Amino acid sequence: MPLLELAGITKDYRLGKTFVHALRGLDLTIEQGEIVALMGPSGSGKSTLMHILGALDTPTSGMAAFDGQSLQQLSENQLVTLRGRKVGFVFQTFNLVPTLSAQKNVELPMIFLGVPKRKRAARAKELLTKVGLADRIRHKPNELSGGERQRVAIARALANNPEIILADEPTGNLDTETGGTILELLRRLSVDDGKTVVLVTHDPEAVRIAGRVIRLRDGRTVEEKANA
Amino acid sequence: MLRDFLVLAGSSILHRKIRSWLTVIGVFIGITAVVALISVGLGLERTIDDEVAKVFGVDTFVLAPRGSFGPARSSEGSNQYALDLEWLRTLDGVQTAAAVRQRTAFVQGQPGPEGRLAQGFLPVMGLSPELITSFSSFVGSLEVEPGGRLFQEADSVVAVLGREVATRLRVDVGQTIVIAGDADKPEITFTVVGILATADDERPQQGFTSGMPASATTIYIPYGTMESLWGPAQDVLVTLVRTAPGRDVDEVANRAQAELRARGSRVTAITYSDISSAIGTVTSTVSAFLAGIAGISLLVGGVGVMNTMFTSVLERTKEIGIMKAVGAKNSHILSIFVIESGMMGLVGGIVGTLLGLGLSAVASAIIGRMFDVRIAVVASPVLITATLGGSFLLGAVAGLWPARRASKLPVVDALRYE
Repeated sequence: MPLLELAGITKDYRLGKTFVHALRGLDLTIEQGEIVALMGPSGSGKSTLMHILGALDTPTSGMAAFDGQSLQQLSENQLVTLRGRKVGFVFQTFNLVPTLSAQKNVELPMIFLGVPKRKRAARAKELLTKVGLADRIRHKPNELSGGERQRVAIARALANNPEIILADEPTGNLDTETGGTILELLRRLSVDDGKTVVLVTHDPEAVRIAGRVIRLRDGRTVEEKANA
Repeated sequence: MLRDFLVLAGSSILHRKIRSWLTVIGVFIGITAVVALISVGLGLERTIDDEVAKVFGVDTFVLAPRGSFGPARSSEGSNQYALDLEWLRTLDGVQTAAAVRQRTAFVQGQPGPEGRLAQGFLPVMGLSPELITSFSSFVGSLEVEPGGRLFQEADSVVAVLGREVATRLRVDVGQTIVIAGDADKPEITFTVVGILATADDERPQQGFTSGMPASATTIYIPYGTMESLWGPAQDVLVTLVRTAPGRDVDEVANRAQAELRARGSRVTAITYSDISSAIGTVTSTVSAFLAGIAGISLLVGGVGVMNTMFTSVLERTKEIGIMKAVGAKNSHILSIFVIESGMMGLVGGIVGTLLGLGLSAVASAIIGRMFDVRIAVVASPVLITATLGGSFLLGAVAGLWPARRASKLPVVDALRYE
C-alpha cells in the first residue's frame, strides 16, 4: 500500500477577488521510503501540493489518503494529531521559534503530543547530536548559522519519528556547500532510516538525491521520471 | 503540559522585555491604586471601630429619640422623650443608667450696678450625676474653672453654669440663681458650685453624643432636681445604659426598648454594634466608591494587556503557524496566549499589591499625623488573595480575545505570513 495517494485533487482558493485554481486534477502516489523531488515554475501548485501532502490543508475535491486513511474524513484535531505524529516539515526559511533554544525547538512537537519532559529532552539531544549539533543545544536560533538552523529544523521534523519528511526548498537559503550537507542528511534519512522524503525544489543538486522527479505545471503533473 | 505552556509563554514574555514591562506597569498602577485605597479604607474602618469601642464601651447602649437613628430616619416626632429613669435602673440586666433632660426656663441671677436683676429665658439641662461618675468617656472633658466643682450624687439644689450664662446672670461660684419651673411648682434657688471652663480652642466642649454639648450658654442642674421644677421626665434628650457584667448588650437593649415603648417612651436603643455597622456602611461605601474609581485605571491596564496581546498575535503569526504545523491544536495555542497574558496580569498584581500596601502604610501615617490618631495598617489576606487572583484573571480575560484569534488562524496562511 502506498504511503500517500492522491487522485483527482483540485484546490481552489480566493486571493482577493480572484479565484485561483492552484491544483486542477492532480494524481500522485508516493511509496514508503522513497525520495521524491517536486519541481515546477512558481505558481505551478508545488506549495499547495506540499500543504495537502502534509495535512496542513484539505483539497477542494478529489481523494487524498495517508497510510490508507482518507484525509477528508478526519476532523481538524485529528489532522493536527496526524501531522504531529506522521509528518515532519522542513521549510526554506527554517521557521524555528526565535525565543526558544535549539533543544526546546526540537522538543516542541513532542510537547504538543504530551511526551514526558525527561524523555523529550533525551530525544532532542539525541536528534541534535545526529544532525551534528551536539554543542549547540542551548543556542537560540539567532546564534546559529543558516545551515545549523536548518539542521535544527530537520531534528525537529524527526522529533516524533514521522513516516514522511516534507521539505519545502530546504536548500533555498543556503550556500551550495551547506546545502550539500543538508541534502546528504535528508538522503541518509531515507537510506538508513527508511523515511519517505518529499522535496520541493529548484536546486539541481537536490534533484540528484531524488529517486523520482515529478514536474508540475498549472496544477497538474506534466512529467514523471525515475532518476537513475 | 501546563508547565510547558508556562515555559513557552514565559520565554515569549521575556523575549519582549520592554513591551512586557510597559504592559505590566499599566496593570500595576491600577492594582496599586485599588489595593492602597481599600487598605486605607479598611484601616480607617478598624480605627473608627476601635475609637467607638473606646468611647462607647461594648457594655453600653444609648436610648435616643425614636426615629433619630438608622436608615429609617424620620423627621416626625419630637427629639425628646418621656422616661422613668428609676424604673429603667431596676430592669433586669441593667447596672447603671444616666439621662439628660432639657428645658428652657425663666432664670434670675444677681442684680447689676443699677440694682436691676439679671434674668432671662435660658436652656436648663438636667444631668444624672452618674453621667460624670460612670460615663465620663461620653461627656468628654467637662472641666470647671478653678475654685468650682461639678455636682455629685448627693447634690440637689446646685448648678453648674456655662461661662457665658454666668456672665449674663452676673453670678460667681457661691452665689445663687433662681429657676422657675411649671406654674404649679415653686421656684427653686440654686447655689452655683462651678463654672465650666471655656475650651482653649474656642471649640465647644462636646461629649460623644450630640445630646450633651458642654455649652457655654447652658445651665446644668442635677437630673433629680428637674422633677421638682417640671415633674416626671417628658423631655429626655438621651439616656446611657450600662449593662451588668456578662450580659448580652443587644438583648438587654432590645428588651429595654420594647418595654420602654410599652410604657410610652418613644425611644430607640442604639448599641455599639449598631453604631459601628452604621459607620461601617458609610466607610465601606466610601472605600468602594474610591476603589471603583481606581478600578477604571485597572480597566485601562486590561485594555493595555489586550493591545499588547493583539500586537503579539500579529507579530507571531508565523510562529503560530509553525506550532500548528508541528502538532499544536487550537486549544494549545489558546492556552499559551491566555497564560501569557494572565502571567503579565499576575506580575502586575504582585508588584501592585506590594506597592499598594506600602502606599497605604505611608498614607495611613500621613492621615494619622494630620488628625492625630493612630490609624491601623491592615494587610488583609483576603484582599491580597483576591487581588492576585483578580489580576491573573484580568490579564487572562484581556488576552482571551486575541488568543482566540491566534488559535483560529489557518495554518497555511499563518505560515505564509511575513
